[in-house]
Amino acid sequence: MFTKSGSGGRNDGTRNSSLAALLAFGMVLALAVIPSTFAASVADADSAISADDAKCLKCHSKQMKKSMDDGAKMSLHVTASDFADSVHSAIGCTSCHQAIAKRKHPKEKIAISDERSFSVEMNQACGNCHEEMAKQYEGSIHAKLVAEGSDAAPVCTNCHTAHAVKAMSVFESVTGEVCKSCHEPIFEAYAQSVHGEARANGNTIRDSHIQAPICADCHRAHDISAVSAEELVQSTCLSCHDEATLAHEQWLPNAEHHLEIIACAACHTPMAERRIDLQLYDKLTKVPMGNEENHAPFQQKLDEVDKSGDGLDPVELWKLIRRTSQEGQATDVTLRGRMEVSTGADAHRIAAKGSAVRECDSCHEQGSAAFQNVTVSIARPDGRKQRFNADSDVLTSPVSLDSVGNFYAAGGTRIAVLDWLLILAILAGLAVPIGHITIGKILNRKK
Amino acid sequence: MHVNQATLSEEQRLYLHPLPVRIWHWLNALCFVLLILTGVQIRYADLFSLMSFETAVKLHNWVGFVLIFNYFVWLGYYLMSDKVTNYHAVLDAKKFFRNYFDQAVYYSYGIFKGQKRPHNIQPHDKFNPMQKLTYQVIMMITVPIQILTGLMLWDVNRFSSWIDFAGGIRVVNTIHVLMFILFVFFIFLHAYMGMLGPKRSTHYKEMITGYEEDEGH
Repeated sequence: MFTKSGSGGRNDGTRNSSLAALLAFGMVLALAVIPSTFAASVADADSAISADDAKCLKCHSKQMKKSMDDGAKMSLHVTASDFADSVHSAIGCTSCHQAIAKRKHPKEKIAISDERSFSVEMNQACGNCHEEMAKQYEGSIHAKLVAEGSDAAPVCTNCHTAHAVKAMSVFESVTGEVCKSCHEPIFEAYAQSVHGEARANGNTIRDSHIQAPICADCHRAHDISAVSAEELVQSTCLSCHDEATLAHEQWLPNAEHHLEIIACAACHTPMAERRIDLQLYDKLTKVPMGNEENHAPFQQKLDEVDKSGDGLDPVELWKLIRRTSQEGQATDVTLRGRMEVSTGADAHRIAAKGSAVRECDSCHEQGSAAFQNVTVSIARPDGRKQRFNADSDVLTSPVSLDSVGNFYAAGGTRIAVLDWLLILAILAGLAVPIGHITIGKILNRKK
Repeated sequence: MHVNQATLSEEQRLYLHPLPVRIWHWLNALCFVLLILTGVQIRYADLFSLMSFETAVKLHNWVGFVLIFNYFVWLGYYLMSDKVTNYHAVLDAKKFFRNYFDQAVYYSYGIFKGQKRPHNIQPHDKFNPMQKLTYQVIMMITVPIQILTGLMLWDVNRFSSWIDFAGGIRVVNTIHVLMFILFVFFIFLHAYMGMLGPKRSTHYKEMITGYEEDEGH
């Protein structure tokens, strides 16, 4: 037994040596097959990277730079681990960089004018797979600004990154990353709001099943609109607060009308500075005035009317509306008044319901702050408003009866001439009896 | 010829103001006063603090609807009564304005000289020409305008097509305020001219009892 076993032990030793030799051979073979540089550079990458991508990363994991036409240098570096971790690691480099795959790379070089135009150009690649998202993005304010030549407006990669593309859940982060990088003051205001605080603390509002909203919940992610398209934001508020109309109707006269002409934030951000915006509106087509065709002539008309450039007074505003109306035969221009908050940050600092403005006379009283700040606006082609300052008395002048006929707040924007007429009526009402009695006394004295 | 009121039996005295008219008149007066007070509070919240803006608006709306109901009491009564002749227009314009002038002369001179009033008051023709024109304008033009503009302001969205037709909410409100100013003036005049009977209280008593208190003045 013992001998056998001793012999067996020797035999085992021989077997182990053979296994080690086999392993060593395998390793040598493996090292010969797999590029040694890739093994070194992506050793820390968690997921597998395809052999083709490894070829790309062989160079691009280095700190490479490319000179562009504008003289600047663009980094061609891709962090291998970031790409390995990204949701796009599975589809590979050439799925997006198709142009590279079609030619002899890196021998055949292409000229890149500047980094921004390359990013804009590469945006098309995302649409190849994310067709629906790309379509939504095309209609967005971001895309319109890019088309207008903005350097700051984001393309896909500005929000999603080029090579470290993450899953959607990452963008629901309460830290506000992505949006915050451009809209920081607004995000900070949001973070202090009833929505932001709820999102940060347990992520729920009132009922546990309702998630407190973050940027994209109200503004949407890809088909984000110009902020001045208030109807959109308003209907977004009501999409969660579906009881709001009914709740306002319980106490607020003309509740529906109030909800139409006052931005939610104007009352629900109690400390916000408010303003009245009078937007040019076509009564016939029932759409805001302003498009690429008539926007430039409008600016010209405005300059003609407000020669001093000190803001529109009631007469100048009246002239402007008349001139704008005359231009197009099929237009009937009017001004549609809305109360808004003056800054984007204030619009996001929504407070808890209990602290919302409820006092009617905060607006319905002559001299209230809300009516001291007035702008006249026209819709720009991208949907945003171009605003022009106007004097606050455009809201109280009898001249505005025609031009600002569609906006009036009882008490708050009352026409002063009518007050004098009332005083005159009271004086006349007193003068008639006094005069009549006096005539009687004079006549009877003569008698 | 003067007839002493005390010597007349009830049947002989003229019954000028039937009960529905008297109810309508005093309810209308109450509504006017309440609407003016709440209207002033709504328009001049910076100057008066009789009540909150919210209360003023709610009260103004409720009283407004009472006034609308009351307007139909008046309209219904006169449409169904032979007394509607009181509001009939005098088609002979020349005659009407001669009488109107006579009445104006009476108010500015004759009344102080004890002259007989030019208009012969009858239950079917109780208004003198000045009263007739004033009440025709008030009841058939200004009150309906005030009711319609009031309705538009009460529910802006429901009546948005009417408001657009009128030229916008500011126009509607301005018309409403102009009518209000007119009513304020009217109330002063109406209250004073009601005192131009034989005694200061005569016409006020008439409006309570319905019977003419003193024939001939």
